Amino acid sequence: MTSATPDAPAIRTDGLTKSYGRKRGIIDVDLEVRRGEIFGYLGPNGAGKSTTIRLLLDLIRPNSGTATVLGQPAHGSAVRLRREIGYLPGEMALYPRMTGRELFRYFAALRGMKDLTHAEELAERLETELDRPIKALSHGNKQKVGLVQALMHKPSLVILDEPTTGLDPLIQQEFYRILDEVRADGRTVFLSSHVLAEVERIADRVGIVREGRIAVISEVETLKRQARRKLEFHFESQVPEEDFLRLPEVVEVRTDGRILELTVEGSVDDIIKLASRYTVLNVLSREQDLEEVFLTYYAAPEPDEHADPPSDSDASVNAPGPSEPAGEG
Amino acid sequence: MLRTITTKTLRDGRRALLWWALGLSGLTILTVATYPAVRDMPGMEELLEGLPDAILALIGESDLLSPEGYLNSQLFGAIVPLLFLFFGVAAGAGAIAGEEENRTLDLLLANPVSRTRVALEKALAMVIGLVLLGAILWIATYLPGLAVDMDLDPMNLVAVVVSACLFGFFMGGFALMVGGSSGSRGLAIGLGAALGVAAYLVNSLAPLVEGLDWLQRLSPFYYYYEADPLRNGLDPVHAAVLGVGGLLFVLVAVIGFRRRDVGV
Repeated sequence: MTSATPDAPAIRTDGLTKSYGRKRGIIDVDLEVRRGEIFGYLGPNGAGKSTTIRLLLDLIRPNSGTATVLGQPAHGSAVRLRREIGYLPGEMALYPRMTGRELFRYFAALRGMKDLTHAEELAERLETELDRPIKALSHGNKQKVGLVQALMHKPSLVILDEPTTGLDPLIQQEFYRILDEVRADGRTVFLSSHVLAEVERIADRVGIVREGRIAVISEVETLKRQARRKLEFHFESQVPEEDFLRLPEVVEVRTDGRILELTVEGSVDDIIKLASRYTVLNVLSREQDLEEVFLTYYAAPEPDEHADPPSDSDASVNAPGPSEPAGEG
Repeated sequence: MLRTITTKTLRDGRRALLWWALGLSGLTILTVATYPAVRDMPGMEELLEGLPDAILALIGESDLLSPEGYLNSQLFGAIVPLLFLFFGVAAGAGAIAGEEENRTLDLLLANPVSRTRVALEKALAMVIGLVLLGAILWIATYLPGLAVDMDLDPMNLVAVVVSACLFGFFMGGFALMVGGSSGSRGLAIGLGAALGVAAYLVNSLAPLVEGLDWLQRLSPFYYYYEADPLRNGLDPVHAAVLGVGGLLFVLVAVIGFRRRDVGV
């Protein structure tokens, strides 16, 4: 895949802001997506994911800030850029009376593409129904047609808005394999999702968007490493819980006499050393999955209670501000 | 048919076009076939001569028994231009706003095609649709006309058909402009149809009101019909008003479409 500016990041936005009316849109979104990575753009419905994506594709224009895609301004070079981009819209609609095969032929013609082998290959792997009118297809089957058209021209950058909606689990696995291959090919994937497990499974990095603002951008691994853990000690006799609470890594202590349940952030070294002064019968450790990481960012600031987002070293965390516009998702 | 946006749009519209063609040709064939009966009806001439001039002015024809007068009063004076009006408005309103409301525009614009190209190809599809409808109108009038000895000038018939197509293009261009700049098909159909019907009414009523006859010249209908193309051939100035006006609307549609957010 060739690009005009091969060294530039796949996507870069600076202070990207778009508001529609009072309560929807995105504010000051700074993103950088590297070439060859799978970037997961995570947030609940209405957080501004589709707004961001549609700005990248020049379907809508920002109020302020800039978006650069493959080294080119998103607005100024939209047509040239789209040769190298594959896009699956969220809440996509297809031409109901066309078949999947006809749709691929149409879009291939608009792209000046003659060879549809790759489209057929992808369609086969995703078990796509190609010869029935799209209006007769189930939601999941329509989604497959949408995915194939986004990938069939081997774009340098694949932008997928909620790609796995409606796909059954086996097809999802195949789809993840296809994305792995796209990455192995040095191409870039930017996908939005509200499903953590999905991003955890396939993405290299994740950006969490919340009410129109970026809450955090991080390596998926880092995020997992920083995640709070639950440590559960079973002691032979009762222990003073205040001693544990005094340790900076301990966020929360719950005790049931001889069982101590700690919520830990960061290193467990001091905790283990402290615990070793007593007779430990058992230790259980459970890593928080992204679902809970996610909840720490989202459960956080409702109007008056100020909860603390996990502080950290590697990940860039913007303290999520209260009550800012949220987009349509 | 799937090589370009234009041909794909025509392909999508093929069923609708077929129905339009059937309806239009049914209407014209029936009208032409009735002509001999009207012409030869005893006492018809006297009846018409007895009508007051004001009534004849309202009908817009003083010579209802000649082939041209008959066709003008029965077809080209009202029903044909209104059909071309609605065909043009439906095509123009659906061109961009239709894809937008069906939520297929995001997908179309994800391809390397500029918004200018989308708008122009859609406009071209509308023009081709109008031309096809015009061809059907000509055939379905001329051939039955031969069968009933109507003695029509084929070129003058071409002139009135072209005039109707230009009127449809003007109004369709207007609807394309409204839909392309607003994204609302309903608004485009509503404004387009309202403007078209107003154009018809102004053209026929303004001349009857003392001091308001100049108003007629603001009506696109005037440029379609006033020069009586079925008798006199195409008036180049009147045809140009409609053609250039339609092109300007398309141009504004392109500008409006390029500048705005789509699909919000």
